[in-house]
Amino acid sequence: MTITLAFQLAIAGVSVGSIYALVALAIVIPFKSSGVLNFAQGEVVTFGAYAALVLTQLALPYPVVVLGVVVLGGVGGIVAERLLIRPIVQAPEFTLVMATFAIGLLIKGLISLKFGDSAASLDSPFDPEPLIALGLRFNLTSLWILACTTFVTLSVIGFFKYTKMGKAMRAVSVNAEASRLMGIRVSSVYRWAWGISTAIGALSGLLVAPLIGINPEIGHLILRGLLAAVIGGFTSIAGAVFGGIAVGLIETFSGVLIGSTFKNLVPFLLLMLLLFFRPHGLFGTAEAKRV
Amino acid sequence: MKTIFRAVCAFVLTVAGLTVSAQQQGVTADNILIGAFGPITGPAAYIGLAGRDGMNLAIKEINAAGGINGRKLSAAFEDDAHSPTRGLAAAKKLIEQDKVFMLMSVGGSNATAGTIDYVRDSKLIMYVSIASVPQVTWPFAKNMFRGGTTESARYGELYAEFLSTHFKTKKIGIMSGREEYPRNEGDATVTKLKDWFGIAPVARVEFNIGDKDFTPQLVQVQKVSPDVIAFLGNPAEAAIAMRQAKELGMKQPFFVGSNMVDPALVLAARTSAEGVTGFSLIPLLPGSKNPEMVKWQESWKKEYPSAPAGRPNNFDVMAYADMYVVADAMKRAGKDLTTDSMITSLEATKDFSVGAIATKRTFSTKHHIGNLSLVPMIVQNGAWEPVSWSSSRQSDILSRY
Repeated sequence: MTITLAFQLAIAGVSVGSIYALVALAIVIPFKSSGVLNFAQGEVVTFGAYAALVLTQLALPYPVVVLGVVVLGGVGGIVAERLLIRPIVQAPEFTLVMATFAIGLLIKGLISLKFGDSAASLDSPFDPEPLIALGLRFNLTSLWILACTTFVTLSVIGFFKYTKMGKAMRAVSVNAEASRLMGIRVSSVYRWAWGISTAIGALSGLLVAPLIGINPEIGHLILRGLLAAVIGGFTSIAGAVFGGIAVGLIETFSGVLIGSTFKNLVPFLLLMLLLFFRPHGLFGTAEAKRV
Repeated sequence: MKTIFRAVCAFVLTVAGLTVSAQQQGVTADNILIGAFGPITGPAAYIGLAGRDGMNLAIKEINAAGGINGRKLSAAFEDDAHSPTRGLAAAKKLIEQDKVFMLMSVGGSNATAGTIDYVRDSKLIMYVSIASVPQVTWPFAKNMFRGGTTESARYGELYAEFLSTHFKTKKIGIMSGREEYPRNEGDATVTKLKDWFGIAPVARVEFNIGDKDFTPQLVQVQKVSPDVIAFLGNPAEAAIAMRQAKELGMKQPFFVGSNMVDPALVLAARTSAEGVTGFSLIPLLPGSKNPEMVKWQESWKKEYPSAPAGRPNNFDVMAYADMYVVADAMKRAGKDLTTDSMITSLEATKDFSVGAIATKRTFSTKHHIGNLSLVPMIVQNGAWEPVSWSSSRQSDILSRY
């Protein structure tokens, strides 16, 4: 393998990995604050892609489409949390997970009903011709996704570190009951956690649509998002992003070095190996419990 | 006296009706029930939704024109989700619970493959409109028919001849999906390239349905610099692969499997689809300005006014035409419709045509492959156009029977 080819593969790996990273981020945020693993997040990505398609067909400028998709995604998450999750928030974790499954199926069903199952496409706002520099080819849409992933990651890290709501989310994730006693409105924390994560999920859909097309099956990306989140440690924002990029790179390089047959298997095999040595992922830490 | 006469008539008619229904499942005095299956959910839903809608449009027209020998046609439909197990479950339900007269497969090869052994044993007729899975028609079974599609061995013949003679090359790369149809057609193409032209593909790589990144496969293909890349899969995957090939600086033209010679590919791949070639199973694609196709599309759109972009597609046309083939055979089978009379009638079908929108269908007592004709096409200015190329070799597949 030449150096140029290795770099070209790295570009492809980071490109697909940044998509996984965004999905992983959207999974980690509500889990970090409420302990709920949202299996509907894949369908939120699908929703974002279709919302972008509809808004684009209205001939709205790209920045308005981006804003519209983020707002629709966020509001959708807040509504879903208020109507479908909060009434059962005291139920066992498994029940909550199944509820998110149901929400996902509902979103997918409504999309199929409205748009059918045929594939559609969304034009990228950027030139489809790759940018050539240093003998390497860069897809402008992929670079845009990478830039957005970086921006979202830094924003989320900053949000958790410096804002009152972010700090409240961290507190609730440690102990919801104690946070309530300290005056934190836990219901508000859950609401915002859902809103932010679904806004990111919807944004992911808008970003990936020009690269992978639009169909009701986009939600399968959640498998890679979950893999990335587990590698990252499930409660770490930076870990989720690192995990996503790592999965993208592993898939791409293993596809070339080992063969495309094993491309999809290798990341899972490596995950099993990783969990053997680090059961809480690369960036996760074991929860301390008083005994 | 009148009362007795009426009672006797009613008794005779009732017995006659019961006799028919007792003799042949799915057939009553006033109805023929067909069981159909195809994927209406999942990545291959573009096939099954179209197959179902095309078939139902034909049924509506046939019934509006008076039905078949005094009976109306109706269809029970099951989603096979493009899965062999779901396909088998669908076939079992349709035959054992719904008690249909015959089956229509309007889905892909994956699910249809799962039904074959069971349906062969059931002795009921299965008419396959779209799937190319070879076991439908080879080895020969009296109750299995293939309509609009052709067998994967025939695809292999045409693909191999086109790739080597149209592109005038021996350096051919093949990228194929791991599911039933792309694997079968890929294998058939490799076989015929070797048998007819003494060519071995310079690369044969596989991918999974639903993959989002084809860089590893493209890099493997790029290493051996083929002159043309044959891509066998679904439009969603082809669109990504073609875009990524451009990004990798690959200039090779793409040739695609016949399921992608459809407006859906152009819709998904946009400019990356320009120059792509492939074989169409129908002579005119939806969107053509041919008056017959325009008229047909108007009827279709009247029936399905809120259909999404990309519809109707080729599979609408294929299933529509095949429903007419079946209806025509039923008419010729006469009032006493049984599986045996229907098989005899289907086997007598020769050059049946619903018009310029579909190819003619011919069956015989020796083989049940209705269509051996495919039309080579190329994407030019965002639309599929015919290519001036014709096969100069005699097909081998009928000589097996």
